Amino acid sequence: MTSTGVLTGEERHGAALAALGSSPATLRRFLDGYTPVAAWEAIAAGRHRADPDRRYRHKATSDTLDAVAALCARTDIAVRVLGCPGYPGALAADHQAPAVLFVRGDVDVLEGRPRVALVGTRAATPYGLGVAAELGRDLASAGVVVVSGLARGIDAAAHAGVLGAEAGAPPVGVVGTSLDTPAQGARATLHAAVAARGALLSEVPPGGPSARWWFAVRNRVMAALAHVVVVVECHHRGGSLHTVDAAEQRGVTVAAVPGSVRSPASAGSNRLIADGAVLVRDAQDVLTAIELAIASDSGIAPPGRRGAHGRRVAGAAARPALSAVARRVRRAIDHDPATLESIVKRCGLAIGEVSLALEQLAEAGLAVGVLGWWSRPR
Amino acid sequence: MLACIPSATLQGVDGRPVSVEVHVSSGLPGFTVVGLPDAAVRESRDRVRAALLSSKLPWPARRVTVNLAPSGIRKSGAGLDLAIAVGLLVAAEALPAGCVEGTGFLGELGLDGSVRPVPGIVSLVAAISGGRVVVPAGAAAEARLVAGDRVRPASTVAGLVDSLRDRAPWPAPPPPAGGRPDTGVVPDLCDVRGQRVARRALEIAAAGGHHLLMVGPPGSGKTMLATRLAGILPPLTAAEALEVLRIHSAAGVAVADGAFPIRPPFRAPHHGATDVALVGGGSPWLRPGEVSLAHAGVLFLDELGEFPAMVLDALRQPLEEHVIRVRRARAGADLPARVLLVGAMNPCPCGDGALPGSCRCTDVMRQRYLRRLSAPLLDRFDLAIPLERPDVDELLGGPPGESSAAVAARVRAVRDVAAARGVRCSADIPLHALDGLIPLSPDAAALLERRVRAGALSARGLHRVRRVARTIADLDGVEGPVGTNEVAEALNLRTARSLLVPGARP
Repeated sequence: MTSTGVLTGEERHGAALAALGSSPATLRRFLDGYTPVAAWEAIAAGRHRADPDRRYRHKATSDTLDAVAALCARTDIAVRVLGCPGYPGALAADHQAPAVLFVRGDVDVLEGRPRVALVGTRAATPYGLGVAAELGRDLASAGVVVVSGLARGIDAAAHAGVLGAEAGAPPVGVVGTSLDTPAQGARATLHAAVAARGALLSEVPPGGPSARWWFAVRNRVMAALAHVVVVVECHHRGGSLHTVDAAEQRGVTVAAVPGSVRSPASAGSNRLIADGAVLVRDAQDVLTAIELAIASDSGIAPPGRRGAHGRRVAGAAARPALSAVARRVRRAIDHDPATLESIVKRCGLAIGEVSLALEQLAEAGLAVGVLGWWSRPR
Repeated sequence: MLACIPSATLQGVDGRPVSVEVHVSSGLPGFTVVGLPDAAVRESRDRVRAALLSSKLPWPARRVTVNLAPSGIRKSGAGLDLAIAVGLLVAAEALPAGCVEGTGFLGELGLDGSVRPVPGIVSLVAAISGGRVVVPAGAAAEARLVAGDRVRPASTVAGLVDSLRDRAPWPAPPPPAGGRPDTGVVPDLCDVRGQRVARRALEIAAAGGHHLLMVGPPGSGKTMLATRLAGILPPLTAAEALEVLRIHSAAGVAVADGAFPIRPPFRAPHHGATDVALVGGGSPWLRPGEVSLAHAGVLFLDELGEFPAMVLDALRQPLEEHVIRVRRARAGADLPARVLLVGAMNPCPCGDGALPGSCRCTDVMRQRYLRRLSAPLLDRFDLAIPLERPDVDELLGGPPGESSAAVAARVRAVRDVAAARGVRCSADIPLHALDGLIPLSPDAAALLERRVRAGALSARGLHRVRRVARTIADLDGVEGPVGTNEVAEALNLRTARSLLVPGARP
C-alpha cells in the first residue's frame, strides 16, 4: 500500500490546485514551469501567468489547502503530482497526462507490467459480459494489468473477471468520479476490491462536483495507460469510441471482440474490426497484440502464456439426460438472445412444451433466460 | 293548487325516485325551486317558462313553489324539466289532474317546447315504479328495453299535452328491441400474422379472465392485439347486458340504437386521463368513469408508462373488488367495474430496451419511467409477455392467422367448463378452492416449489400462476391434474413482469 495520511508539501499543494476547479488543461498550465507550492503562491498573489484574469485567486486560500488535505487524509486518498516523485511513469510521458492524480491503493502496480484497457458499453448483452469476464480473468492470470473504467456493464464484468482469477496481475480502475464519493450498490464492493488488490485512479478532486465530462476525459487516461485497448461490446456511437479515438491519437493498438451482426450492442466494435482493429477471440489474441506493442517498450517483460490456454471443459460430467423436446428446443437457441416467440417459431412445437423444455434447460445450465430473452450460456 | 308528479334523478348509475311537488298560490308572481337542486335544476325555471310560452300554454302569473322530494338528496341535471312543466300545468289547472294520474315524467325542455333526451334514461325509468312513464322520444328506444309498454314517447310539450288529454294519439313507439345481431365491424384476429405467443396469451386472457400486460417496442402490434380481444370474449349475458346498458346510459355514451348490447365493451382511454375520468365521479351525479364503462368488457390502457402514477394506483381497488365505491361529502355511488385489464407499454423510454444490449436509455430515465408502475399494480397482471416486431417474411408472405370466431369458440368452451365448476372464469377461483379446483401433478407441484424456493415467485404469484395453468389446461383439454407443461407455460407467460420491476438484474 502507498503511504497515505501524511501528504508532502508538494502533494498538498497539488491537490489544492486540482480542487480549484479548473479544466485538466489549465491545471497543467498551472504547473508548467512552477512547482506546486510556487504555483499556489503565484495564484494566491494573483500573478500566475496561467491565471491572467485572477479567476482562481479568491479560492486559493489556506482554508482550501487545509480542507483538501484533510479530506484526502480522512478518505485514504493519496496524491500524485506530475513531475514529482511517485507519479506513474506509464502516464508521465503522455502529452495530456493529468497534472494531479488521486489514487487509492498501490499505483506502483502499473510499473513494469504489460497493460490492457478493457472497455465497452454499459448496456451489454450476456454474451459481452461473459467475454469481458473471461478476458479479464485470463489476461490477469497471464500477468497483464487490466485497466477499465469500472462502469456498469463491460467494465465491471472485466474487473469481476480479474478479481476472479486465483493469482495474477492486479487490476487498475480509472474512474470519472471523485474517489471520496462512495460507489453505489454492487459497484461499491467492486471498487473496494479493486483498490485493495490494485489501484483506483481519478483526476477528479475529492469533494469536487461530479460532472459528465469527467467520464469523457478519463478515457484518455485509460488510452494513455494501455499498451492495447480492447473494445468488447460497443454501440454504433458508444462512449468507448472516445477511448478508441484517444488510443489512435497515441498510436496505441486498438482491438475489438466481434459480435453478432444483428446485435446493436456490437455495432461499434464490429465496425472497428472492419476498419482494421485487431480481432480478439480470446486472451491469446490480446497477448499476441501486446507482444507486438511492447516490443519497443523496454523494461516490460512479455506476458506469460499460462492461463490463457486453460479453457474449461464445461460440465462434461453429470449432464442430465434431456428429453427429445428439450434437445430440439436447445438446438433452436443460440448465443443471440431470442424471445419465446422466436424459439416457438424455430422449433415448431407447442408453447407449453417449449416452456417446459426451457425450464429444464435452464435448470441443467444449458439455457439462460434473462427477462424473457433466452440464449445459450457462454 | 297543488300537483305531485313522479320523476327521478341520477346518482352514479342508479336512478333515485323524486316527487316533483308544484304549488301555485296567490301572491307576488315568483318561482322558487327548493329541495337541494343544483344549478341546472334551478335554471329549469327559465327553460320551462320559455317552453310553455312557445307551446302556447299558460304560465301562471302567480306565486309558484316547486319542491323536489325527498329534499335530502341532491338533484342534478335537467331531467326534471318535464315533470316541473307538467306539474305547473296541473297546479295552474290548465291540465286536469286525472290526465296525469300515475304517470312519471322524464326529460329536458328546449326553449321551443321540444323534449330532449337526458343521460341515464334506463336507470331513471327503472326508478319510477308502476304506471306510464313519459320519456323523450329520442330516448324511448333505450327506455323500452327496461320498461317495455309503460313507456310513452314525447317529442314536444304541446304534443304531450294533447296526448295526455286524449286529443291526439301517442307518437308511435319505436320498434321493439331485441337481441338483433350487432353489425358493427370488430377487427378480426386473422389480421395478426405470426405472434404465436401473443395470440396464445390473448386467448388465455379471454378464456380465464386474466389481466394481460404486453411489453414491446413501438410497432410490435400491442394495440392491434388488444383491439381484437373484445372480439374473442364470450357475448354478454342478459344480466351483464342490462348492467352495461345502465352504465353507458348513465354516462351519456351512445347505446347502439335501441338494442341490448351483445358484445363486451372495449374502452381505451388516452393516457392523459385523470383519475376521476378513469374511476368516475366529478359531475354532481357522479358520472361513471372509463373503468365502469368497460364493465364486463376490456379496459385497454395503451402506453401504460405514460399514465400518471396516481391514476394507475386508483385502479388497484376496483381491480380487486370489481366495484368502485365513489364517495363524496354529499353523495356516494357504487359503480360496477369488473374489467379485463390489458396494458401495453414500451420497455423503456427509447422503446428498444427489451433486447439485451439495444437500449439507449440511462438508468435514471428507465427508473423514472418505471416508477409510475407500482409493484402492487404490476402484481395484478397474470400474464406479461414481451413482444417483438413481427418477422418481415410472416408479415408479407405468411398465412393469415386463425380467425376470431375459431378462437372465440374455444374461449367459450373454457368459460362453460369454469361455469360448471361454479366460477365465472379461472381468474375468479377463490383461494380456498384452489386445491380442489386446480389439482397439480406431482411434477408440476415440484416445479412450482423450486421456483418459490428460489425466490422467483411470491405467494400471490404462485396462486396466479396456478389459475393461469388451470385456464391453459382447460384450453388444451387436459383431463385430471394440471401438469408440468401447463405450469411451465404459465410461468413463462409472466416473464416480462421482471423486466419492469425496478432493480431487477438484467
